[in-house]
Amino acid sequence: MGRIIDRGLEEQTVLIVKMGELTYETLAISIHGYLEGKSVQEKVRELSGILVSMGEKVEDEAFQLIARFQPVATDLRTIKSYMKVGNDFVRYGRYALDICLINDQLSGLKECEDCTRDYINEMSEKVLSMVRTSIDALKKQDILLAKTISSTEREVDKMYFDYLNKLINAEQANSKCVLSTTLMTRYLERIADHAVYVCESIVYIVTGEKVALG
Amino acid sequence: MLNSYRFRRYKNKLFFALCLACVIIAIVPLVSILVETVVRGASQINLHFLTANVLQGGIGPSIQGTLIIIGLTSAIGIPIGIFSGIYLAEYGNNKYASNIRVINNVLTQVPSIIVGMTAFGIIILYVTRTYSPFAGAVALSFMLIPIVARTTEESLKLVPNSVREASLALGVHKWRTTLNVVLPASKSGLVTGTLLGVARIAGETAPLLFTILGSSFFFQGFNAPMDALPLRIFLNSRMNTAEEQAAAWGAALILILIVLALNIIVRVASRGRNFRWTING
Amino acid sequence: MDKNMKMQSINLNAWFGLKQALKDVNIAIKPNAVTAIIGPSGCGKSTFIRILNRMHELIPNAKLTGQVLLDGEDIYAKDVDPVMIRRRVGMVFQKPNPFPTMSIYDNVAAGLKLTGAKKGRNLDEIVKASLERATLWDEVKDDLKKPGTSISGGQQQRLCIARAIALQPEVILMDEPCSALDPIATAKIEQLVVELKQDYTVVIVTHNMQQASRVSDFTAFMYLGSLIEFGPTRDIFESPKNPLTEKYITGEFG
Repeated sequence: MGRIIDRGLEEQTVLIVKMGELTYETLAISIHGYLEGKSVQEKVRELSGILVSMGEKVEDEAFQLIARFQPVATDLRTIKSYMKVGNDFVRYGRYALDICLINDQLSGLKECEDCTRDYINEMSEKVLSMVRTSIDALKKQDILLAKTISSTEREVDKMYFDYLNKLINAEQANSKCVLSTTLMTRYLERIADHAVYVCESIVYIVTGEKVALG
Repeated sequence: MLNSYRFRRYKNKLFFALCLACVIIAIVPLVSILVETVVRGASQINLHFLTANVLQGGIGPSIQGTLIIIGLTSAIGIPIGIFSGIYLAEYGNNKYASNIRVINNVLTQVPSIIVGMTAFGIIILYVTRTYSPFAGAVALSFMLIPIVARTTEESLKLVPNSVREASLALGVHKWRTTLNVVLPASKSGLVTGTLLGVARIAGETAPLLFTILGSSFFFQGFNAPMDALPLRIFLNSRMNTAEEQAAAWGAALILILIVLALNIIVRVASRGRNFRWTING
Repeated sequence: MDKNMKMQSINLNAWFGLKQALKDVNIAIKPNAVTAIIGPSGCGKSTFIRILNRMHELIPNAKLTGQVLLDGEDIYAKDVDPVMIRRRVGMVFQKPNPFPTMSIYDNVAAGLKLTGAKKGRNLDEIVKASLERATLWDEVKDDLKKPGTSISGGQQQRLCIARAIALQPEVILMDEPCSALDPIATAKIEQLVVELKQDYTVVIVTHNMQQASRVSDFTAFMYLGSLIEFGPTRDIFESPKNPLTEKYITGEFG
């Protein structure tokens, strides 16, 4: 026979996992739309809206569990972390939407050179894989998997700053491309940061330690 | 038919009637004693009867003697009884005390004539060498002490341990805890038990026969015989004259009134004295 | 031995006859703080707390080994008078137990009167101060002559607290003080406990974990006579180190 709080905790877990899958899908659609030059704004806007309401639900349920059951130890850390992770997933959705907007308004990568395109491609794949890692680690509560995100994060950071440096030193460039890729790399870097936050939360849930994985 | 409702009701009523009949059988002798005593003794009661000495046809010495003997016995027996009870209740958690408790319980039942003989053999033969009210008081306290000790122990044991713990936890010594906290809390039980013990020994005759013998005159000192109501009743009832027989009934009535008075005092004193041991609210 | 600790148990073992109730318990009680002892029934928490004020030895067949230090000195040393220890280490019990034959005033003054500590002191002032400290003064100031048992359960418990602090102890031990009280009375006592730590060191035994997490600064978790984990309350309730502690406080057993 489980504890009274177990049912509430299970529902939260199911909700967060669903959110995770949805947010991955949203990001994937948006990033691929950008890379391939397709407009996916309507779809992404819809999905982002769903993510926002799911995020609110996670927060409301968390406060309900706290008020009613006075959770402690692992239960408490789980509830607290789910709230943070839910927030991170909502942010993913917002970034996905923002990427759609720059895709539509600044024509994405259409005006860029091939090497730039490849660069952004590579960075996007890395970031998507980080998001995937963070969601898988969350599902399985796998702290070893969560900790592997540190290396990819460093790579993404490096790619971001390298690109900025390149832009500063470039002679002339197509302004639409510059704007578009600057914003895109910025968003990608932020998405990567949030993926790291999610992994840090997983470590906190399981061990109680507050680590910095970024 | 044996299980039918009507038969069960009938069985109920039968059982009730049986109990009631036994109660009546039990009460009848008591009531008849009272009635008989009042009827035969009331006519004797007048001021002369209550104050003149026996030769003059009164029972003054008897009443005086009974009061003196009750007073002396209480003075000796009550303190010893209470402190014995305190020992048994507060310090008596060992095998030694268990044995004392058993002996004490036996002593509450010892036949009064044996107490009388013992008092005669120990005190009169070796100490006072004459009949003496002192010996009588000692004899009766042999009977009073076990009773008071037992009721004291039981009253003290009724005080919840939480009260003792509270006092000890404040850093109060055990003896002060017993004296200032536990004893006051058991006061009503103590008073009741003591008064009932006194009422019981007020009517004992055999020990007095052996120790104060009886007398026709008022108190004559601690080395002379003395009279008492139970003695007077016994002695007079063996006389042949009608006056002496009637005097015996008068004495019996007075004795019953004294015992009744003691019991009524107990009832009144223990009313509304039940401390609430439970928490309210 | 830590000189900064108000009380400390060192390798404490205790028995009732042949049954061992405490096994190698080492707990340090910090001054001017509330330390809570939690654990399932039979874990030894009540036994432990009664050892701190030498009430354990009043039970027949009770035995113990080890040291219990109060300000660095062993209270079980050969020449130590238990009565003197109990005046420095006060106790409040699970069921409120005001003296039934005494008035509210006399109850509070009882400790002083019966320990001879009342000489040359103004009893009225001390009684008022103690009742005020126990947040009971306003409720009973016009009824001081009424019997100690005539007030409600929660008030009786605060009366017992006032009675204990009238003797100015250094440590106050509380053995499940709110078990017999309703939630509102409980809340008042909890508030009082948190205030008391300014002037006293408090050790509270409770089977209510939420109470421990509300009022205490340090928590000790005991199980089957052993100390399982001890630390700041925040740490114990957010990230306990011992899996048994985690199991207990999340309600998986006990």
